[in-house]
Amino acid sequence: MSEVSDASRRRGALAVLLAWVFPGLGHFYLGRRKSAVLFAVIVIACFVLGLSFEGRLYTIQSGQPLTILATFAVYGAGLPNIVARLFSANPGGSALSVTYEYGCAYILTAGLMNLLLMLDAWDIATGKKK
Amino acid sequence: MLAALLPVDHFLIMTVYAVLVSAFFALLWREEARDRWKLFGILLASLVLGGVAVGWLMYPFPS
Repeated sequence: MSEVSDASRRRGALAVLLAWVFPGLGHFYLGRRKSAVLFAVIVIACFVLGLSFEGRLYTIQSGQPLTILATFAVYGAGLPNIVARLFSANPGGSALSVTYEYGCAYILTAGLMNLLLMLDAWDIATGKKK
Repeated sequence: MLAALLPVDHFLIMTVYAVLVSAFFALLWREEARDRWKLFGILLASLVLGGVAVGWLMYPFPS
């Protein structure tokens, strides 16, 4: 098992933080600029389409334990999620909309994809991924 | 809103979703451009055809 230096850990931690703040920013920091731009476009497109489809920005609700997982997933999207919560006219989505379920799926997927990007940034920074 | 640009079409929404997810994982899991395109095609075909197959399987069930 290979040792990870303190410098790599610090670099990895910063990359993970940047990746959470904005999709692709962690990869951009690590020098993978082309991939970073493409990741940003994909994740942001997914998130914005989810909002456009009147999906829900989940919050934890008592008696509904699955909303804990959903909220964790949505917060994985980082800054776009925060901005959307602050400025969205309808953060709870529109359950009666025909596209509501699609919107939720798009938003959750965007958050989960960004969580994967955070893990990927850590692996790149610590040398676990070339 | 962007949704106004897209018709409310289940197949189209599913296909757009499949394109985004396929592109994401092709970029994440492969390094070479050729490998990325190959994985993108496999994932896209799997998601779209899988979705259509599941739709057909669900057809006999009452709504």
